[in-house]
Amino acid sequence: MIEETKTNRDMKEIDPATDIVETENGFYMYMDLPGVKKEDLDIDVEENVLVIAAKATKQAVDGEIFITQEFGSGEYRRRFNLAVVVDPDNIRANLKNGVLELFLPRKNATKPRKIKVSRDD
Amino acid sequence: MVIDFSSISNLPYEFDKMFSNVFNPQHYKRRNAAYPPVNIGEDNTSIYVHAEMPGIDIDDLDIAITPKDVVIKGERKLPEGRYFRQERISGIFQRIVTIHTDIDINKASAIIKDGVLLMTLPKASSTAPKKIAVEIE
Repeated sequence: MIEETKTNRDMKEIDPATDIVETENGFYMYMDLPGVKKEDLDIDVEENVLVIAAKATKQAVDGEIFITQEFGSGEYRRRFNLAVVVDPDNIRANLKNGVLELFLPRKNATKPRKIKVSRDD
Repeated sequence: MVIDFSSISNLPYEFDKMFSNVFNPQHYKRRNAAYPPVNIGEDNTSIYVHAEMPGIDIDDLDIAITPKDVVIKGERKLPEGRYFRQERISGIFQRIVTIHTDIDINKASAIIKDGVLLMTLPKASSTAPKKIAVEIE
């Protein structure tokens, strides 16, 4: 329903790890973006393609010389194709403690409806 | 006894992995390093340990500092629900970072910002480089 689109990308770009949880009202996406500030995060929806681009700021104290480095100040980018069931106008985003939480609501027409069954006695 | 044959039965994948490791060193480091990935740096007064741990509150973390090493322990809990895709790591983790310098434990501090932990470990005053004036007679 939410498919990833692969493109030729720069070696330095990192695919952020993403979880997608499905609920009755829509999908919750959780994306790990450590070191990203709100202003360095860009979320776009174009023709049903959701693009998330972010830049991690360099984590260093002034005058610090690194001895070991296992992560860097990389750029994150990931694209997802949105299915027709997603309402692209009402996507909500929230960045908290390095995790981006996106809520992609279902279009009203595609929400599962409960049908009451009446019984004739 | 369990023998892992996956590397033999999945050879094409292993070759792909090898190639991507060679040509994409950053990717290589990220996948094979222990969790959480750490950067360690220093200046004249302190040692700094940065660790990437998005989504973890400082309350879920247990940091123990001894004169020789720093132990970062914690648990990463993910929201419950019907997972459509899951890539993020969850569970209990522990990492021991050995510091080869005497540090002043009482003045150590730690903060989390934007999902990155920063620990500041001030060097014990005895290990700070001292300048000794040499007089020439």
